[in-house]
Amino acid sequence: MPDLIDGSENVTVHGIFNWIILLVIFSIITVIGNYLGYHHPMEGSLVGMAILSIITLAGVWMERYLPLNVSSILYISVIGIILAFPGMPTSEFVLHYVSQVELLAIVTVFLAYVGIGMGKSWDEFKALGWRAIVITVLVIATTYYGAAIVAHIVLVLTGVPAV
Amino acid sequence: MGWILIPDGKPDGHVEHIYREKTDKRILKKNPWRDYRLHITVLILVVIAELIGTISIPITKDVAITIMPLIYTIILGLVFYLAKPIKWIQRKQARIAEGAMMLFIGVLIAKLAVSSGQSIGLIFDMGPALILQELGHLATILVLPIALLLGFKKEAVGMTNSIGREPNVAVVVDKYGFNSPESRGVFAIFIIGTVIGTIFISFLVTFSLSVLPLHPYAFAMASGVGSASMNAAAIGPTLAAFPGMETQIEAFAGFSNLLSFCVGIYIVIFVALPLTEKMYNWLEPKIGRESIMPKKEDD
Repeated sequence: MPDLIDGSENVTVHGIFNWIILLVIFSIITVIGNYLGYHHPMEGSLVGMAILSIITLAGVWMERYLPLNVSSILYISVIGIILAFPGMPTSEFVLHYVSQVELLAIVTVFLAYVGIGMGKSWDEFKALGWRAIVITVLVIATTYYGAAIVAHIVLVLTGVPAV
Repeated sequence: MGWILIPDGKPDGHVEHIYREKTDKRILKKNPWRDYRLHITVLILVVIAELIGTISIPITKDVAITIMPLIYTIILGLVFYLAKPIKWIQRKQARIAEGAMMLFIGVLIAKLAVSSGQSIGLIFDMGPALILQELGHLATILVLPIALLLGFKKEAVGMTNSIGREPNVAVVVDKYGFNSPESRGVFAIFIIGTVIGTIFISFLVTFSLSVLPLHPYAFAMASGVGSASMNAAAIGPTLAAFPGMETQIEAFAGFSNLLSFCVGIYIVIFVALPLTEKMYNWLEPKIGRESIMPKKEDD
Protein backbone atom coordinates (compact mmCIF):
# COMPACT_ATOMS: atom_id res chain seq x y z
CA MET A 1 0.00 0.00 0.00
CA PRO A 2 1.61 3.31 -0.97
CA ASP A 3 1.44 5.75 1.87
CA LEU A 4 -0.53 8.50 0.23
CA ILE A 5 -2.38 9.51 3.32
CA ASP A 6 -0.54 11.05 6.21
CA GLY A 7 -1.64 13.35 8.97
CA SER A 8 -0.98 16.99 8.27
CA GLU A 9 0.74 19.51 10.48
CA ASN A 10 0.15 23.16 11.01
CA VAL A 11 2.44 25.57 9.26
CA THR A 12 4.53 27.50 11.73
CA VAL A 13 7.31 30.04 11.37
CA HIS A 14 9.60 27.09 12.03
CA GLY A 15 8.02 25.26 9.08
CA ILE A 16 8.56 28.15 6.69
CA PHE A 17 12.17 28.29 7.88
CA ASN A 18 12.51 24.60 6.92
CA TRP A 19 11.14 25.30 3.44
CA ILE A 20 13.58 28.15 2.95
CA ILE A 21 16.62 26.13 4.03
CA LEU A 22 15.59 23.21 1.78
CA LEU A 23 15.17 25.55 -1.18
CA VAL A 24 18.59 27.09 -0.48
CA ILE A 25 20.18 23.61 -0.44
CA PHE A 26 18.37 22.68 -3.67
CA SER A 27 19.45 25.95 -5.30
CA ILE A 28 23.11 25.50 -4.39
CA ILE A 29 23.20 21.94 -5.76
CA THR A 30 21.40 23.05 -8.94
CA VAL A 31 23.76 25.99 -9.49
CA ILE A 32 26.78 23.67 -9.18
CA GLY A 33 25.22 21.21 -11.65
CA ASN A 34 24.26 24.10 -13.95
CA TYR A 35 27.89 25.28 -13.91
CA LEU A 36 29.43 21.84 -14.47
CA GLY A 37 26.98 20.66 -17.12
CA TYR A 38 26.06 23.83 -18.99
CA HIS A 39 28.82 26.32 -18.04
CA HIS A 40 26.50 29.09 -16.91
CA PRO A 41 28.20 31.53 -14.51
CA MET A 42 27.26 30.78 -10.92
CA GLU A 43 26.27 34.34 -9.87
CA GLY A 44 23.58 34.74 -12.52
CA SER A 45 22.09 31.28 -12.04
CA LEU A 46 22.07 31.78 -8.27
CA VAL A 47 19.85 34.84 -8.76
CA GLY A 48 17.72 32.79 -11.17
CA MET A 49 17.29 30.00 -8.60
CA ALA A 50 16.47 32.62 -5.93
CA ILE A 51 13.64 33.93 -8.15
CA LEU A 52 12.29 30.39 -8.76
CA SER A 53 12.56 29.57 -5.04
CA ILE A 54 10.64 32.69 -4.05
CA ILE A 55 7.87 31.82 -6.56
CA THR A 56 7.73 28.30 -5.08
CA LEU A 57 7.64 29.62 -1.55
CA ALA A 58 4.82 32.03 -2.42
CA GLY A 59 2.89 29.17 -4.08
CA VAL A 60 3.15 26.68 -1.22
CA TRP A 61 2.37 29.43 1.29
CA MET A 62 -0.73 30.52 -0.63
CA GLU A 63 -1.92 26.94 -0.92
CA ARG A 64 -2.00 26.69 2.86
CA TYR A 65 -3.20 30.18 3.78
CA LEU A 66 -5.71 31.15 1.12
CA PRO A 67 -9.20 29.76 1.63
CA LEU A 68 -9.39 28.28 -1.90
CA ASN A 69 -8.77 24.55 -2.08
CA VAL A 70 -6.29 24.82 -4.93
CA SER A 71 -3.00 23.03 -5.49
CA SER A 72 0.24 24.98 -5.10
CA ILE A 73 1.12 23.84 -8.63
CA LEU A 74 -1.57 26.18 -9.94
CA TYR A 75 -0.47 29.15 -7.80
CA ILE A 76 3.17 28.66 -8.80
CA SER A 77 2.25 28.41 -12.48
CA VAL A 78 0.11 31.54 -12.39
CA ILE A 79 2.76 33.58 -10.54
CA GLY A 80 5.48 32.38 -12.94
CA ILE A 81 3.40 33.16 -16.02
CA ILE A 82 2.46 36.64 -14.75
CA LEU A 83 6.04 37.58 -13.80
CA ALA A 84 7.34 36.58 -17.24
CA PHE A 85 4.38 37.94 -19.20
CA PRO A 86 5.64 40.12 -22.07
CA GLY A 87 5.21 43.78 -21.11
CA MET A 88 5.23 43.18 -17.35
CA PRO A 89 7.84 45.38 -15.64
CA THR A 90 9.29 42.24 -14.03
CA SER A 91 9.60 40.20 -17.19
CA GLU A 92 12.98 41.45 -18.39
CA PHE A 93 14.66 40.95 -15.00
CA VAL A 94 13.06 37.53 -14.42
CA LEU A 95 13.85 36.22 -17.90
CA HIS A 96 17.43 37.48 -17.80
CA TYR A 97 18.27 35.48 -14.69
CA VAL A 98 15.92 32.49 -14.97
CA SER A 99 17.12 31.76 -18.50
CA GLN A 100 20.59 31.17 -17.05
CA VAL A 101 19.27 28.17 -15.13
CA GLU A 102 18.88 25.25 -17.53
CA LEU A 103 15.70 23.24 -17.01
CA LEU A 104 17.79 20.06 -17.31
CA ALA A 105 20.03 21.17 -14.43
CA ILE A 106 16.95 21.48 -12.19
CA VAL A 107 15.57 18.18 -13.47
CA THR A 108 18.83 16.33 -12.79
CA VAL A 109 18.88 17.39 -9.13
CA PHE A 110 15.14 16.84 -8.72
CA LEU A 111 15.39 13.30 -10.09
CA ALA A 112 18.26 12.46 -7.71
CA TYR A 113 15.81 13.06 -4.84
CA VAL A 114 13.15 11.10 -6.76
CA GLY A 115 15.59 8.18 -7.14
CA ILE A 116 16.38 8.06 -3.43
CA GLY A 117 12.72 8.54 -2.52
CA MET A 118 11.47 5.77 -4.77
CA GLY A 119 13.81 3.27 -3.11
CA LYS A 120 11.16 3.17 -0.39
CA SER A 121 8.69 1.59 -2.84
CA TRP A 122 11.18 -1.05 -3.98
CA ASP A 123 9.87 -3.93 -1.84
CA GLU A 124 6.27 -3.26 -2.81
CA PHE A 125 7.43 -3.00 -6.41
CA LYS A 126 9.13 -6.41 -6.33
CA ALA A 127 6.00 -8.01 -4.87
CA LEU A 128 3.78 -6.89 -7.76
CA GLY A 129 4.81 -9.28 -10.49
CA TRP A 130 5.54 -9.03 -14.17
CA ARG A 131 1.92 -8.75 -15.34
CA ALA A 132 1.42 -5.46 -13.53
CA ILE A 133 4.75 -4.21 -14.89
CA VAL A 134 3.64 -5.01 -18.45
CA ILE A 135 0.40 -3.09 -17.93
CA THR A 136 2.19 -0.07 -16.39
CA VAL A 137 4.64 0.16 -19.28
CA LEU A 138 1.78 -0.06 -21.79
CA VAL A 139 -0.28 2.54 -19.93
CA ILE A 140 2.61 5.03 -19.91
CA ALA A 141 3.34 4.37 -23.60
CA THR A 142 -0.31 4.75 -24.70
CA THR A 143 -0.86 7.92 -22.68
CA TYR A 144 2.25 9.44 -24.29
CA TYR A 145 1.49 8.31 -27.84
CA GLY A 146 -2.21 9.18 -27.50
CA ALA A 147 -1.36 12.77 -26.62
CA ALA A 148 1.47 13.04 -29.17
CA ILE A 149 -0.62 11.73 -32.06
CA VAL A 150 -3.69 13.86 -31.28
CA ALA A 151 -1.47 16.95 -30.88
CA HIS A 152 0.29 16.19 -34.15
CA ILE A 153 -2.98 15.76 -36.06
CA VAL A 154 -4.43 19.01 -34.66
CA LEU A 155 -1.20 20.92 -35.39
CA VAL A 156 -1.17 19.66 -38.98
CA LEU A 157 -4.90 20.37 -39.49
CA THR A 158 -4.54 23.91 -38.11
CA GLY A 159 -1.60 24.46 -40.42
CA VAL A 160 1.21 24.98 -37.91
CA PRO A 161 4.44 24.67 -39.88
CA ALA A 162 6.97 22.19 -38.52
CA VAL A 163 9.79 24.48 -37.47
CA MET B 1 -13.49 22.82 -5.71
CA GLY B 2 -10.06 21.27 -5.71
CA TRP B 3 -8.84 18.57 -7.97
CA ILE B 4 -6.35 16.59 -5.99
CA LEU B 5 -8.64 15.45 -3.26
CA ILE B 6 -8.70 12.36 -1.16
CA PRO B 7 -10.96 11.44 1.75
CA ASP B 8 -8.95 11.49 4.96
CA GLY B 9 -11.21 9.04 6.74
CA LYS B 10 -12.65 11.54 9.20
CA PRO B 11 -16.36 11.07 9.88
CA ASP B 12 -17.31 14.53 8.62
CA GLY B 13 -16.17 13.57 5.13
CA HIS B 14 -13.59 16.32 5.15
CA VAL B 15 -11.11 16.02 2.31
CA GLU B 16 -7.45 16.86 2.40
CA HIS B 17 -4.74 17.42 -0.09
CA ILE B 18 -2.33 14.53 -0.68
CA TYR B 19 0.70 16.52 -1.73
CA ARG B 20 0.23 19.00 1.04
CA GLU B 21 -0.05 16.35 3.73
CA LYS B 22 2.96 14.46 2.54
CA THR B 23 5.09 17.59 2.28
CA ASP B 24 3.92 18.99 5.57
CA LYS B 25 4.46 15.85 7.54
CA ARG B 26 7.94 15.31 6.19
CA ILE B 27 9.13 18.88 6.05
CA LEU B 28 7.48 20.94 8.71
CA LYS B 29 8.20 18.74 11.66
CA LYS B 30 11.43 16.95 11.02
CA ASN B 31 13.99 19.61 10.09
CA PRO B 32 14.85 17.79 6.87
CA TRP B 33 17.83 20.02 6.13
CA ARG B 34 19.60 18.64 9.17
CA ASP B 35 20.17 15.38 7.32
CA TYR B 36 23.16 16.93 5.61
CA ARG B 37 24.49 13.56 4.41
CA LEU B 38 21.43 13.11 2.20
CA HIS B 39 21.98 16.47 0.52
CA ILE B 40 25.73 15.96 0.17
CA THR B 41 24.99 12.58 -1.43
CA VAL B 42 22.63 14.28 -3.91
CA LEU B 43 25.34 16.85 -4.65
CA ILE B 44 27.86 14.06 -5.33
CA LEU B 45 25.35 12.24 -7.60
CA VAL B 46 24.72 15.46 -9.54
CA VAL B 47 28.44 16.21 -9.92
CA ILE B 48 29.09 12.65 -11.18
CA ALA B 49 26.12 12.84 -13.56
CA GLU B 50 27.02 16.25 -15.02
CA LEU B 51 30.68 15.29 -15.43
CA ILE B 52 29.77 12.14 -17.37
CA GLY B 53 27.39 14.22 -19.49
CA THR B 54 25.10 12.99 -22.25
CA ILE B 55 26.04 9.76 -23.99
CA SER B 56 24.60 8.85 -27.39
CA ILE B 57 24.59 5.21 -28.42
CA PRO B 58 23.86 4.68 -32.13
CA ILE B 59 21.65 1.64 -32.74
CA THR B 60 21.12 1.94 -36.46
CA LYS B 61 22.13 4.72 -38.84
CA ASP B 62 19.20 6.95 -37.87
CA VAL B 63 18.24 5.66 -34.46
CA ALA B 64 20.31 6.56 -31.43
CA ILE B 65 19.56 6.10 -27.77
CA THR B 66 20.56 9.16 -25.75
CA ILE B 67 21.35 8.69 -22.08
CA MET B 68 21.22 11.96 -20.18
CA PRO B 69 22.56 12.98 -16.77
CA LEU B 70 19.02 12.85 -15.38
CA ILE B 71 18.95 9.08 -15.95
CA TYR B 72 22.20 8.62 -14.01
CA THR B 73 20.91 10.53 -11.02
CA ILE B 74 17.65 8.54 -10.78
CA ILE B 75 19.41 5.20 -11.11
CA LEU B 76 22.30 6.15 -8.81
CA GLY B 77 19.80 7.47 -6.26
CA LEU B 78 17.97 4.15 -6.27
CA VAL B 79 21.25 2.19 -6.15
CA PHE B 80 22.46 4.27 -3.20
CA TYR B 81 19.24 3.50 -1.34
CA LEU B 82 19.40 -0.23 -2.10
CA ALA B 83 23.17 -0.71 -1.62
CA LYS B 84 23.79 -2.20 1.80
CA PRO B 85 27.22 -0.60 2.45
CA ILE B 86 25.71 2.88 2.12
CA LYS B 87 24.30 3.15 5.60
CA TRP B 88 23.48 6.86 5.56
CA ILE B 89 20.77 6.52 2.90
CA GLN B 90 17.98 4.50 4.51
CA ARG B 91 14.21 4.52 4.70
CA LYS B 92 14.24 7.67 6.82
CA GLN B 93 16.29 9.54 4.21
CA ALA B 94 14.02 8.22 1.46
CA ARG B 95 11.05 9.69 3.29
CA ILE B 96 12.84 13.01 3.66
CA ALA B 97 13.83 12.93 -0.02
CA GLU B 98 10.22 12.23 -0.98
CA GLY B 99 8.94 15.10 1.16
CA ALA B 100 11.61 17.47 -0.13
CA MET B 101 10.80 16.41 -3.68
CA MET B 102 7.21 17.60 -3.20
CA LEU B 103 8.62 21.08 -2.48
CA PHE B 104 11.18 20.95 -5.29
CA ILE B 105 8.45 20.15 -7.82
CA GLY B 106 7.56 23.80 -7.25
CA VAL B 107 10.91 25.03 -8.58
CA LEU B 108 10.52 22.87 -11.66
CA ILE B 109 6.97 24.12 -12.21
CA ALA B 110 8.12 27.73 -11.68
CA LYS B 111 10.82 27.38 -14.37
CA LEU B 112 8.28 25.91 -16.81
CA ALA B 113 5.78 28.65 -15.91
CA VAL B 114 8.34 31.38 -16.69
CA SER B 115 8.85 29.81 -20.13
CA SER B 116 5.08 29.60 -20.57
CA GLY B 117 4.65 33.26 -19.61
CA GLN B 118 7.35 34.28 -22.06
CA SER B 119 5.56 32.38 -24.86
CA ILE B 120 1.99 33.07 -23.79
CA GLY B 121 1.00 34.29 -27.27
CA LEU B 122 2.20 31.06 -28.83
CA ILE B 123 0.30 29.04 -26.23
CA PHE B 124 -2.95 30.80 -27.13
CA ASP B 125 -2.26 30.20 -30.82
CA MET B 126 -1.79 26.48 -30.15
CA GLY B 127 -4.80 26.33 -27.83
CA PRO B 128 -6.81 23.74 -29.79
CA ALA B 129 -3.91 21.29 -29.98
CA LEU B 130 -3.07 21.77 -26.30
CA ILE B 131 -6.65 21.14 -25.17
CA LEU B 132 -7.43 18.26 -27.54
CA GLN B 133 -4.21 16.35 -26.79
CA GLU B 134 -5.51 15.97 -23.24
CA LEU B 135 -8.17 13.67 -24.75
CA GLY B 136 -5.33 11.65 -26.28
CA HIS B 137 -4.57 10.35 -22.77
CA LEU B 138 -7.79 8.30 -23.10
CA ALA B 139 -5.71 5.92 -25.22
CA THR B 140 -4.73 4.09 -22.01
CA ILE B 141 -8.13 2.35 -22.20
CA LEU B 142 -6.76 0.41 -25.19
CA VAL B 143 -4.63 -1.51 -22.69
CA LEU B 144 -7.76 -2.86 -20.94
CA PRO B 145 -8.14 -5.96 -23.19
CA ILE B 146 -4.51 -6.88 -22.56
CA ALA B 147 -5.02 -6.55 -18.80
CA LEU B 148 -8.05 -8.87 -19.09
CA LEU B 149 -6.07 -11.39 -21.13
CA LEU B 150 -3.36 -11.37 -18.46
CA GLY B 151 -5.96 -12.39 -15.88
CA PHE B 152 -6.84 -9.13 -14.14
CA LYS B 153 -10.51 -8.60 -13.26
CA LYS B 154 -11.86 -5.34 -11.82
CA GLU B 155 -8.25 -4.37 -11.03
CA ALA B 156 -7.97 -3.66 -14.76
CA VAL B 157 -10.45 -0.77 -14.46
CA GLY B 158 -8.18 0.93 -11.92
CA MET B 159 -5.09 0.11 -13.93
CA THR B 160 -6.04 1.34 -17.38
CA ASN B 161 -8.27 4.40 -16.87
CA SER B 162 -5.29 6.77 -16.70
CA ILE B 163 -1.57 6.95 -16.03
CA GLY B 164 -2.23 6.29 -12.34
CA ARG B 165 -0.42 9.13 -10.61
CA GLU B 166 -1.44 10.79 -7.34
CA PRO B 167 -4.55 12.64 -8.59
CA ASN B 168 -5.76 9.53 -10.44
CA VAL B 169 -5.21 7.36 -7.36
CA ALA B 170 -7.28 9.84 -5.38
CA VAL B 171 -10.13 9.71 -7.90
CA VAL B 172 -10.24 5.89 -8.00
CA VAL B 173 -10.01 5.52 -4.21
CA ASP B 174 -12.72 8.14 -3.82
CA LYS B 175 -15.07 6.36 -6.23
CA TYR B 176 -14.52 2.68 -5.36
CA GLY B 177 -13.22 2.74 -1.80
CA PHE B 178 -9.81 2.02 -0.37
CA ASN B 179 -10.03 -1.80 -0.36
CA SER B 180 -11.71 -2.30 -3.72
CA PRO B 181 -10.07 -4.27 -6.54
CA GLU B 182 -10.10 -1.08 -8.64
CA SER B 183 -8.01 0.69 -6.00
CA ARG B 184 -5.59 -2.25 -5.80
CA GLY B 185 -5.15 -1.90 -9.54
CA VAL B 186 -4.41 1.81 -9.46
CA PHE B 187 -2.04 1.37 -6.48
CA ALA B 188 -0.07 -1.22 -8.48
CA ILE B 189 0.29 1.18 -11.41
CA PHE B 190 1.22 3.96 -9.00
CA ILE B 191 4.02 1.98 -7.33
CA ILE B 192 5.45 0.55 -10.55
CA GLY B 193 5.18 3.95 -12.23
CA THR B 194 7.05 5.48 -9.29
CA VAL B 195 9.92 3.02 -9.65
CA ILE B 196 10.27 2.59 -13.42
CA GLY B 197 8.11 5.39 -14.88
CA THR B 198 10.76 8.10 -15.16
CA ILE B 199 13.40 5.79 -16.59
CA PHE B 200 10.98 4.10 -18.96
CA ILE B 201 9.48 7.32 -20.36
CA SER B 202 12.92 8.80 -20.94
CA PHE B 203 13.88 5.85 -23.16
CA LEU B 204 10.44 5.78 -24.77
CA VAL B 205 10.77 9.45 -25.73
CA THR B 206 14.36 9.06 -26.96
CA PHE B 207 13.28 6.15 -29.15
CA SER B 208 10.14 7.89 -30.44
CA LEU B 209 12.04 11.06 -31.33
CA SER B 210 14.26 9.14 -33.69
CA VAL B 211 11.60 6.96 -35.35
CA LEU B 212 8.37 9.01 -35.38
CA PRO B 213 8.15 12.02 -37.72
CA LEU B 214 5.85 14.05 -35.45
CA HIS B 215 5.75 17.82 -34.98
CA PRO B 216 8.27 19.06 -32.34
CA TYR B 217 5.42 20.80 -30.50
CA ALA B 218 3.50 17.50 -30.42
CA PHE B 219 6.42 15.83 -28.64
CA ALA B 220 6.59 18.76 -26.22
CA MET B 221 2.86 18.65 -25.44
CA ALA B 222 2.84 14.87 -25.04
CA SER B 223 5.51 15.03 -22.35
CA GLY B 224 2.96 16.64 -20.02
CA VAL B 225 1.58 13.33 -18.81
CA GLY B 226 0.44 14.61 -15.44
CA SER B 227 3.42 13.56 -13.36
CA ALA B 228 6.12 16.12 -12.62
CA SER B 229 8.95 13.58 -12.57
CA MET B 230 7.84 11.81 -15.77
CA ASN B 231 7.28 15.22 -17.37
CA ALA B 232 10.82 16.18 -16.41
CA ALA B 233 12.28 12.93 -17.72
CA ALA B 234 10.38 13.26 -21.00
CA ILE B 235 11.37 16.89 -21.66
CA GLY B 236 15.11 16.12 -21.44
CA PRO B 237 15.50 14.15 -24.68
CA THR B 238 12.95 16.40 -26.43
CA LEU B 239 15.02 19.51 -25.64
CA ALA B 240 18.14 17.75 -26.86
CA ALA B 241 16.47 16.68 -30.12
CA PHE B 242 15.34 20.18 -31.15
CA PRO B 243 18.16 22.60 -30.30
CA GLY B 244 17.20 26.27 -30.51
CA MET B 245 13.57 25.62 -29.54
CA GLU B 246 14.11 25.33 -25.78
CA THR B 247 11.67 28.05 -24.75
CA GLN B 248 8.79 26.80 -26.90
CA ILE B 249 9.30 23.18 -25.85
CA GLU B 250 9.46 24.11 -22.17
CA ALA B 251 6.41 26.33 -22.57
CA PHE B 252 4.28 23.60 -24.19
CA ALA B 253 5.53 20.84 -21.90
CA GLY B 254 4.88 22.90 -18.81
CA PHE B 255 1.48 24.15 -19.91
CA SER B 256 0.38 20.70 -21.03
CA ASN B 257 1.42 19.21 -17.70
CA LEU B 258 -0.55 21.94 -15.94
CA LEU B 259 -3.58 21.10 -18.10
CA SER B 260 -3.16 17.41 -17.25
CA PHE B 261 -3.30 18.35 -13.58
CA CYS B 262 -6.36 20.60 -13.75
CA VAL B 263 -8.39 19.50 -16.79
CA GLY B 264 -7.07 15.95 -17.01
CA ILE B 265 -8.55 14.93 -13.70
CA TYR B 266 -12.04 15.90 -14.84
CA ILE B 267 -11.54 13.96 -18.06
CA VAL B 268 -10.70 10.94 -15.87
CA ILE B 269 -13.76 11.43 -13.64
CA PHE B 270 -16.33 12.17 -16.34
CA VAL B 271 -15.00 10.35 -19.41
CA ALA B 272 -12.18 7.89 -18.79
CA LEU B 273 -13.55 6.01 -15.78
CA PRO B 274 -17.10 5.55 -17.13
CA LEU B 275 -15.67 4.53 -20.50
CA THR B 276 -13.28 2.04 -18.91
CA GLU B 277 -16.17 0.51 -16.94
CA LYS B 278 -18.30 0.19 -20.10
CA MET B 279 -15.42 -1.45 -21.93
CA TYR B 280 -14.89 -3.77 -18.98
CA ASN B 281 -18.54 -4.84 -18.82
CA TRP B 282 -18.54 -5.47 -22.55
CA LEU B 283 -15.18 -7.25 -22.86
CA GLU B 284 -14.88 -9.15 -19.58
CA PRO B 285 -17.45 -11.87 -20.43
CA LYS B 286 -15.83 -12.29 -23.85
CA ILE B 287 -12.11 -12.42 -23.08
CA GLY B 288 -11.86 -12.48 -19.26
CA ARG B 289 -9.55 -15.15 -17.84
CA GLU B 290 -9.47 -16.96 -14.52
CA SER B 291 -8.55 -14.32 -11.93
CA ILE B 292 -4.88 -14.33 -10.97
CA MET B 293 -5.62 -12.48 -7.78
CA PRO B 294 -5.64 -14.45 -4.50
CA LYS B 295 -9.19 -15.49 -3.60
CA LYS B 296 -9.00 -13.86 -0.15
CA GLU B 297 -11.62 -11.14 0.30
CA ASP B 298 -9.90 -8.41 2.24
CA ASP B 299 -11.80 -5.78 4.08
